[in-house]
Amino acid sequence: MLIKLALRLLGLVPVLAVAVVLTFAANRALPGDPVTVMLSDHSADLDLAARLRAEYGLDQPLWRQFVSYVVHIAEGDFGLSFRLVHTPVIAVLSDGLKISPILALAALAIAFPLGAFAGAGAAINRDRWPDTLVILFLVIGISVPNFALATFLVYLLSIKLGVLPVAGWGTLDRAILPVLILAIPSAAYIARLSRTFMLEVLQQDFVRTARAKGLAERVVIWRHAFSNTLVPLMTQTGIIFGGLLSTTFVVETIFNIPGLGRLAIQSIFARDYPVAMAIILLFTAFYALINLLVDLLCIAIDPRLSAEQAGRP
Amino acid sequence: MAPQFLSRFVALTVLIAPLIALGGWPQADAKTLRVNIDADPSQIDPITYSELNSYQVLEQIYEGLTAITPDGRAVPALALSWTPLPAGYGFRFKLREGVKFHSGRPFTAKDVKYTFEQLLKPGSQGGLSAQFLVNVIGADDMKAGKANDLAGVKIVDDHTIDVAFTKPDVLFPIYEFFIMDSGIVAEQGADWMTKVDAGTGPFTFKQWKRGTEVDLAANPNYWGGAPKIDGVQFLIIPTGDTTLSQYDAGELDFVSLRENAYRRALSNPDYKNQIIEVPKAQVRYMGMNQNLYAPFKDKRVREAISLSIDREAMIKGLYNGAAFMLNGQTVPGIPGYNPDMPPLKYDPERARALLTEAGYPGGKGMPPVEIQCTEPFKDEIAYYANQLGKVLGMQVTPKVVERATFIKAMNAGEVAFFPWGWTADYPDTMTFLGEMWYSKSPFNRARWSNPDFDKVIERAQTEIDDQKRFALYRQAEKILMDDWATAPLPATVTVALRKPNTKNVTVTPLGYSVFQNAEIE
Repeated sequence: MLIKLALRLLGLVPVLAVAVVLTFAANRALPGDPVTVMLSDHSADLDLAARLRAEYGLDQPLWRQFVSYVVHIAEGDFGLSFRLVHTPVIAVLSDGLKISPILALAALAIAFPLGAFAGAGAAINRDRWPDTLVILFLVIGISVPNFALATFLVYLLSIKLGVLPVAGWGTLDRAILPVLILAIPSAAYIARLSRTFMLEVLQQDFVRTARAKGLAERVVIWRHAFSNTLVPLMTQTGIIFGGLLSTTFVVETIFNIPGLGRLAIQSIFARDYPVAMAIILLFTAFYALINLLVDLLCIAIDPRLSAEQAGRP
Repeated sequence: MAPQFLSRFVALTVLIAPLIALGGWPQADAKTLRVNIDADPSQIDPITYSELNSYQVLEQIYEGLTAITPDGRAVPALALSWTPLPAGYGFRFKLREGVKFHSGRPFTAKDVKYTFEQLLKPGSQGGLSAQFLVNVIGADDMKAGKANDLAGVKIVDDHTIDVAFTKPDVLFPIYEFFIMDSGIVAEQGADWMTKVDAGTGPFTFKQWKRGTEVDLAANPNYWGGAPKIDGVQFLIIPTGDTTLSQYDAGELDFVSLRENAYRRALSNPDYKNQIIEVPKAQVRYMGMNQNLYAPFKDKRVREAISLSIDREAMIKGLYNGAAFMLNGQTVPGIPGYNPDMPPLKYDPERARALLTEAGYPGGKGMPPVEIQCTEPFKDEIAYYANQLGKVLGMQVTPKVVERATFIKAMNAGEVAFFPWGWTADYPDTMTFLGEMWYSKSPFNRARWSNPDFDKVIERAQTEIDDQKRFALYRQAEKILMDDWATAPLPATVTVALRKPNTKNVTVTPLGYSVFQNAEIE
């Protein structure tokens, strides 16, 4: 098991290497450069701009900038931010690092049980009113864009009723709306999957066998059928978490949360290459790690998976 | 059982985690003025600053040799008076006595020289103020790392300093420098600006929570009198809509609204007694690059374009009244403004006749052209494209370009047709005529060039007498407008809101706010 884990972790290295090359290329393919943004209208002053470019090492050939970037990352040094003068990238990220993953995880923690139970409940009551209700909820949850939902809820709860703050970060009440906005579409997505899986499982032989054995319907449904939908649902969690991470970009901007998502957007617009690239690499790493974690969880839950893997040549 | 247990465990842990991670939200004191800025300052550093958010914060902490009044005049601040040097070009400044830095050290001539040298030293990433030193003797050697001492700046005594130039620079006393404490690095180390500040102004640096807020405290020993509030809290809010919502919810006392949020504020009667409107010291113009689009070479085409724009309708419709007519390329808030420019007309008939005269009847024979600008101006360029099509029969396509990309292209002289503006760097009309239309200026983005205009500007650059210089500006502006170098566009107004209990917050024509005299009741 440990060897397997080590191998999987080792497998992350090429993934991150590809991410480094791609993000470097993508950032530099953007027209304009940090000095243009820094000096804005005054960037036409070529003397001033050239001097700053030299001080940030942007006058070096691109390949040399790339080599020095890679060498520094390998040493664990992400360099200095371009936008925030004299500030190391690590210091710029440290605050946001405590926010975005927590937002995404909190949303997942609400969305997963809510979606799983709602979907299963709908499947059991197929074509009856609870099913219709859940379907209605998931159609709305999936199709209403998060920014529209956020604007509506802020208007209703913060401005009209005054029960929640408009924006910001730092207290629990400020986290409620952002987490909710993140959780709703994911919950709807999970509910849809859960409903489909449950309907499938309910058709299977072992469910019929369980019923034939005379087990109570509650036991048949929840212990036998429902727990068998959990494995396929878990495998989707990695993808959902990735979606949640990228949605934090939107939600953090709307609610003015100083997380990695808002920072990434600001850094990309400011052509703050070191910060933008560090965030993209971090998100890649989160995504890869959560998928790894999900795989391991699935193996732990379903003994067939580990047997299958062991049986491989 | 395992899966249920696991999911319950995961859910519980993850629900509790945010509870633990969240700290307390800082509650502002009753006497702390809460205001908005768009983004983190790049650094609260008087040397490297190059953008408006840093400027807005620095302006409360630091002072220059002169200060700019709300009506756009330069008045003595850290310098009491200045006289031209008897020989060569330059000024002798008499400095204010009895001023103390926030560290307690006295302000002297040594600090002025130190600030200038810091701006020029290689590796110090000297920002916008560095450009004001280009004419000082020895500036090039300092920038090249060949000298450690700025040769053109001589300390006469503790409160007298001479600054000598390679060529006349009559406006030097009104350029804004943030003078810093020369003893700060020795006391606090190279990263001093993350801990303290090095200014003399009405507020001192307290803390900066990145991405959230910058806090300043009042300086009780300020030479101009202690502020009546305890401090200023800048909340970092990137979007206009969130800013307004937080203001409505009572989380902000004063907000300066940029770009599109001001329209929402102006159209809402609830804000009626809370609105502050101040004309911006910003000239706006239509760039028509004659090298890139052949029809612009004909003066009649340029005039026809100006005559096709219904500026009154734009002010009402596009700007909700937060704009005013500009008949030339100078603005009322800045000394040297000429109020007597002939009014610009909207005259579609005459515009069509001029175009026909130029050989393009009904726009025939004119190649299609793109009109470009950044996202906040998308409605405006759509208006021009539509209007020029309707009145002149020109095929104009609006194109929105991302800001950094657009600025880079304009700098390179690669944009044929664009509306843009220029905000004053210092309170004198030279900041407009000499930067935007002088052919040797890097900021001449439309690449218009006229030797007569250049000659007048060069004379004005050496004319120390204000009235004589202003007369030269009038001459230059006439040459510019007689040639229809551009179609001037309506100038805009800074729109800000303040809560009824907040008094004496000043919004300057240069677009930043001054909180020195602010009061909260």
